[in-house]
Amino acid sequence: MKLQKFFCSFSQTDYFQTKIVSATLIFAFSGLILLSCTKEQPAVETYQPTPYEIEIPYGFPTLLNIPDDNPMTVEGVELGRVLFYDGRLNGRTHPDSLMSCATCHRPENSFEIGQPRPYPFGVTGNPTHHAMLPLINLVWNMGTYGWNGSVPSIEADVLLVISSAAEFDSSPERVVNTISNIAGYPELFRKAFGTPEVTPDRIAKAIAQFIRTLISSNTRFDKYMRGEVQLTPEELRGFVLFTTEEGADCFHCHGGFGNPLFTTNLFYNNGKDSVFTDPYDRFSVTGNTMHRGAYKATTLRNIEFTGPYMHDGRFETLDEVIDFYSHHLINTPYIDPLMHHIANGGIQLTPIEKEELKAFIKTLRDEEFLANPDFGAPEKLPGQ
Amino acid sequence: MKINHINTPLFRTSGIVLMLLISLFSGCDKNENPATEPAKIKFHFTHYNQGEPQQFDTMKYVNAAGNQYLVNEIQYFISDVRLHFADGSGQLLDGWKDIHYVDTDLPETQVWSVFDDLKAGDVEKIVFTFGITAQKNNSLMFVNPPERDMFWPEVLGGGYHYLKLNGKWRTPEGQIYPFDFHLGIGQIYAGGVVHVDSITGFVQNHFDVELPASSFTINHGESIEAEIRMNVENWFQNPNTYNHNIWGGDIMQTQAAMQQGCENGRQDVFTFHKN
Repeated sequence: MKLQKFFCSFSQTDYFQTKIVSATLIFAFSGLILLSCTKEQPAVETYQPTPYEIEIPYGFPTLLNIPDDNPMTVEGVELGRVLFYDGRLNGRTHPDSLMSCATCHRPENSFEIGQPRPYPFGVTGNPTHHAMLPLINLVWNMGTYGWNGSVPSIEADVLLVISSAAEFDSSPERVVNTISNIAGYPELFRKAFGTPEVTPDRIAKAIAQFIRTLISSNTRFDKYMRGEVQLTPEELRGFVLFTTEEGADCFHCHGGFGNPLFTTNLFYNNGKDSVFTDPYDRFSVTGNTMHRGAYKATTLRNIEFTGPYMHDGRFETLDEVIDFYSHHLINTPYIDPLMHHIANGGIQLTPIEKEELKAFIKTLRDEEFLANPDFGAPEKLPGQ
Repeated sequence: MKINHINTPLFRTSGIVLMLLISLFSGCDKNENPATEPAKIKFHFTHYNQGEPQQFDTMKYVNAAGNQYLVNEIQYFISDVRLHFADGSGQLLDGWKDIHYVDTDLPETQVWSVFDDLKAGDVEKIVFTFGITAQKNNSLMFVNPPERDMFWPEVLGGGYHYLKLNGKWRTPEGQIYPFDFHLGIGQIYAGGVVHVDSITGFVQNHFDVELPASSFTINHGESIEAEIRMNVENWFQNPNTYNHNIWGGDIMQTQAAMQQGCENGRQDVFTFHKN
């Protein structure tokens, strides 16, 4: 109706002249805008994955470390989970040679290997440089992964694991060849990334997406923070020790109410040694001599499941760790200034205080995290 | 038949194209007139010791108490920076983001380009709060690093450290021990028993700093570069001679030590410099 009225308002000649000029102008302008966007696209059927949203728990950082070139998607996370648990991820298929991320990063140990092996070893038996770190709340690590912070991203770490002689002892090409030949994987890659190509970059991205979902935010302490539960008197006394300078002063490096990650993700020389020979300490990354013997303050969430402790796994139990901080600190020019209790050789806790501190640390156990089915192995792997 | 050109497709299409082109290129057409342009200010936070830029991790300094010491890092908050004009008026700078974090390890925190336009006129002085006032010092208001890592434990008063000045000093016996010169909310302990169960009250230790010699004139269109300098050695002198041998390595639960530090801080720790 409207169109008919428009046609009737002037002659056909006028109309067509106007139309031609208009079309020319539109064409010219469109060409101007789209000049750089006229690459030919292959006519491949692509898939649009579903965005994955991370809900920020109470008190947690709002800044997430999600690279711009690896946005999280439901399908990407799922592919990452499958790859994480697939023993063929090292490029081998013989039953005796399988190794996946989950071989060492076990959910029941907060994605750490746990006791009794201080140094995990790879598929060919070579040990790693350091004890393991758990995969927990890494979406809030701003780019200093590992004990010395040398790894800039989870994606980079996955690629390092593939090639490391102490881990997969493989190559990206070998892994891609193996994975791309397993029925079902190309379709999972298509859903995660739009097309079915299997590449090292995509493998790393998918696993990184899955690891970023491994969030612990439901310990008893979290519930205490949210006002949902009360801690026991012993736990509260332990919390006071944890969070006061005249107590154990753990909070400056390990967080607390104001930092529920229970790590600053920063690096400290905490007074373990008098001689520093490890070529992989923080000094090896920064070149700052004050960083000799410095390592990341690990998260204390689920710490009771992630022994042995320290970068070299020298302590088997939490009792040993508390005893070390209490009585056995070693002063050197490199000790971090936050270790002010060094003047007394340590925090000098009584046996009762040690138990109270340990009781508080155990409120950081997140059983929901340990048993979360979304974090567990898939029921079936592709091709099986 | 008379054609109403305004309603023709040619006119309408041409109009749309013209408007798009104008909007595309309008960003390049800036009319700069200093007489009408607002003035701006950028602050640089610097750290000096004994008149020279602070050197870190070197045991080269001696304080008024005779303690040889080194500085490892300095982290602090200043808030509510105000310009006091000669005509009696005032201007709170960037009131919507009124707490500023400075960290000697993070260069990006050492420059503050004030967003607000400055009013032209004669500034009599600059005043700011060192730390955060009780009204604003709320726990969990900073959930992201690096500000997050300044949190002050709930049992000690909550909120955030005003200052962390970490270093080491040499004792009379020749031992080198760490000191954590941390300022924040103090506690009053009944009977002098330093335990959280004995706390009977808290002390808001934040204080106002009137930057000495901070008068200057703001002209229309002027871009001002100014320096707020921390003179680190003055934390330990004037009016109080702060002695690490007395106060030891940690003072968060020692109000008397924090009080000495705060009294020194409001004197001449901060100075203003502008070319």
